[in-house]
Amino acid sequence: MKRIKGMDILKYVFLIIVCFCSAFPFYFMIVGATNSSVDIIKGRLFFGTNLWANIRKLTQTVHLGRAFWNSLRNATVNTLASLFVCSLAGYGFQIYREKGKDTLMSLLLLSMMVPFATIMVPLFRMFSTLRLLDTTAGFILPTISTAFLIFFFRQSSESFPIETVQAARVDGLGEFGIFFRIYVPIMAPTFAAAAIVTFMSAWNNYLWPLIIMQSQDSQTMPLLITGLTAGYTTDYGILMLSVTITTLPTMILFFTQQKRFVEGVLGSVK
Amino acid sequence: MAQRTLTKRINRVGWLFVIPATVFIFVLNFYPMVSAFLLSLQSGRGNNLKYAGLRNYARLFQDEMFLTSVGNVITYLVIQVPIMLMAALVLATLLNDPKLKGKSIFRTFIFLPCATSLVSSAMIFKSFFSIDGLANNALMALGILKSPLSWLTHPVWAKFVIILTITWRWTGYNTVFYLAGLQMIDRSIYESARIDGASSSRQFFMITIPLLKPVILLTTIMSTNGTLQLFDEVRNITNGGPGIATLSISQYIYNLSFIYNPQFGYAAAVSYAILVMVAILSFIQIKAGGKR
Amino acid sequence: MKRTLYIALTLLLVMTAVFGAGKGEVKPVTTDPDAPVTLTVWCWDPTFNIYAMNEAAKVYAGIRPNVTINVVETPWDDLQQKLITSLSAKATGNLPDIILMQDNAIQKNVMTYPDAFVSLTGKMDLSQFAQFKVDVGTVDGKNYGVPFDNGATGTFIRRDIIARAGLSVGDFTDITWERFIELGKIVKQKTGIPLISTVANEPDFMMIMLQSAGTWMFDSQGKAYIKDNPVLKEALRLTKEMVESGVCLLVPDWNAYIATLNNGTVASTINGCWISGSIQAEKSQSGNWAVTNTPKLGKIPSSVNYSSQGGSGWMVMANSKHPDVAIDFLAQTFGGSIELYETILPTSGAIATWLPAASSSVYSMPIEFFGGQPIYEDLVSYAGKVPNVKYGVFNYEARDAVARALSDVMQGGDIDTALATAQKSVEFLMME
Repeated sequence: MKRIKGMDILKYVFLIIVCFCSAFPFYFMIVGATNSSVDIIKGRLFFGTNLWANIRKLTQTVHLGRAFWNSLRNATVNTLASLFVCSLAGYGFQIYREKGKDTLMSLLLLSMMVPFATIMVPLFRMFSTLRLLDTTAGFILPTISTAFLIFFFRQSSESFPIETVQAARVDGLGEFGIFFRIYVPIMAPTFAAAAIVTFMSAWNNYLWPLIIMQSQDSQTMPLLITGLTAGYTTDYGILMLSVTITTLPTMILFFTQQKRFVEGVLGSVK
Repeated sequence: MAQRTLTKRINRVGWLFVIPATVFIFVLNFYPMVSAFLLSLQSGRGNNLKYAGLRNYARLFQDEMFLTSVGNVITYLVIQVPIMLMAALVLATLLNDPKLKGKSIFRTFIFLPCATSLVSSAMIFKSFFSIDGLANNALMALGILKSPLSWLTHPVWAKFVIILTITWRWTGYNTVFYLAGLQMIDRSIYESARIDGASSSRQFFMITIPLLKPVILLTTIMSTNGTLQLFDEVRNITNGGPGIATLSISQYIYNLSFIYNPQFGYAAAVSYAILVMVAILSFIQIKAGGKR
Repeated sequence: MKRTLYIALTLLLVMTAVFGAGKGEVKPVTTDPDAPVTLTVWCWDPTFNIYAMNEAAKVYAGIRPNVTINVVETPWDDLQQKLITSLSAKATGNLPDIILMQDNAIQKNVMTYPDAFVSLTGKMDLSQFAQFKVDVGTVDGKNYGVPFDNGATGTFIRRDIIARAGLSVGDFTDITWERFIELGKIVKQKTGIPLISTVANEPDFMMIMLQSAGTWMFDSQGKAYIKDNPVLKEALRLTKEMVESGVCLLVPDWNAYIATLNNGTVASTINGCWISGSIQAEKSQSGNWAVTNTPKLGKIPSSVNYSSQGGSGWMVMANSKHPDVAIDFLAQTFGGSIELYETILPTSGAIATWLPAASSSVYSMPIEFFGGQPIYEDLVSYAGKVPNVKYGVFNYEARDAVARALSDVMQGGDIDTALATAQKSVEFLMME
């Protein structure tokens, strides 16, 4: 019994150290939001009294609500579309696996292997010709279907039992019916993880939104934040505040979804 | 996985699942990529581009900045990816333990780094490793250092800081994937192993890792890809410095496109060099991990 | 249930695409001089450039009420990316009428995309601007930039700290860098405080030194002039000595640099005059600062006590539908309104490069933060003495290469070898 206890303590200590290291910059960020710029530069580590002043200054300096809404809308639509399109594809590549599809999957993986800056100019020209500049569709189309997400769903589907599919077919379910009624519920953890990382990526997306944005009305949060650092003098208080606000949606999504990592499949279907 | 043959009809429906995502990628990724490849066969500044065949690719081998950036990125890759993935695996396994208390708190904390804005994290890391920063103070207090080390102006230690930043930032991210993957492993397998007397580490190596293979392969390819295309961390922490000691390939492409005189043809060639490297490494990883 | 979800999602996607339809309609160009005109301006920094542009808009509204100035905040990095992407994609429909451009980048952009910018020669009188600023915006004899932000350098000193070492501001006036280092050693010895700080791995000091001698990293034929450049060699030698002797403190990035000023960690700084805004942010130091001119290179005869760092100018884009209105706007405000410069100086510290503005009484006001010294008057007089230098097309390549040479030298490398490597590096990038 003693030996097990020792291991347990070790585990907790290890986890606590990891948590401390992970959270420190986050803590700095939140503390910064409550301090004045000068104090932050001096390295102040404790909560201050400047939060309200920072909020006022931030809302006076930039269109916070508009940028937040733009980011939220773009990221949400992007995530829903991506989950839909890529899960179908990942499922398809795995459950209906055969040589042709395997080759196609490998080919699609190539699409992730070139830095975005490389395809940016041809993409811009395309979207400009199609008059999609400054539209929501313009913002999100390039990132709806990613080889990464397709690959993720395919890999995760490897542990989805094929017998279940076959049994469902015998029961008379159509292929799409199997996907929506059986696969999606069982693979909830995968969808949760995919939702979180896709949302985070879409929310933090910088380069493409920068290029496609043509008017201030479409500004997103990451672009707004860069604007705050672009002057000769940066107000670190409002910068930290805006950065904290930017982090919130992802963290909220994470918090609500992460239960699924544990719930898993109680009484799993076999 | 039981082998089964697909009937023609089922196979056709299977293609229907796959086609929407594929079409998107073909139109929005492959078409510009082909455009970029054609661009890589041209050289010149701005819009004065002339056909140059494979000259850009030949130029790569004489390009000291390019070769240095490749060396930098491979250094990051070789050191950082294995450490990060191992750490993520260990963390995910620990967090998957049903007996562990405070799981959701731990999980949230571990995910924080990749959600924390890079602006904030970069400020911390830079301050931490500055001459009068915490790292130096702590190491000197412990007697390991006699005088402050200028981490960010030292060609080797600057790389160390970058590797540390990347590992810090992305371990939690990969932990999320492993946690999701662990959910698909039936707990009864672990139960019967425990009854048979297998220790935790045996269970880890004999059950967890083999069953997580598909997801491990995914994270390996993604991390390799991510590190070879590294940009944000380097730009924000060292900006490629000192000199070009931490310069990444993507940063070089960025410089070639937007900071220096725009040489999009050459920049495209550098991009395709990245593609070749990632493709080769991914191919090796798929072959190595694909055996079932 | 799932099927309805599927349908709903598809509808959502379609609706978003349809209702977010592009705003790309082209407005017909009118020739009626009083018809309403909107000029779009891209620039950055709400407290400095954007503020100045908005004030200029107010001034112009009094002259031409039918013109609206629409300022779009665009950070410099972003501006470069958007500009170059649009020009490369040959999709210039959404580019603005006027942009702000860093001096360092004007030559590069004009020479790479010669048809993208409107030449101001013959359309606007630039003779009243500080000559060195006009020069950086001139390519092949044609002017493209309206000088705005003054980058004339000064030595900003904490007179209270140097007083503790028995020194005064006069000791730092009209001196050489060698003398500056000597004084720095004295200050360090008597107060323990380094005299100056700089961002590690940045070539700022060397750029200041180069311009003070009227040279740059390229010769008059545009060839890289790094390897056998005596000014650069001196610059490297002096910078290395400054750091190694403890006179100069290296910091990891920009905000750490500002912190050294605000925290009193260093006793001075040498930078473009726009640094005064950051210095004045720390109210508790009011009264303790002073400004004097820049050290010169003792061993280089052509070096003077004046130089420049940073700075930007306004440019008119060729895709503009109203280039003449844009030019007139700039001419009447930044090139013709003393009132504008009087307004923006006290609030933002934006110092004119348009010399008539400097004759305004606002400029000779004593500034309490600087102990009553009329710093703006002094800084504008410095601007008049800055040597002209052509930054050249490959400016950024050369800057990076020289920064690298500095890093090599700081690691113990030999100066000549480091410069030779830098030269090779730049020549490689200059190859097509």
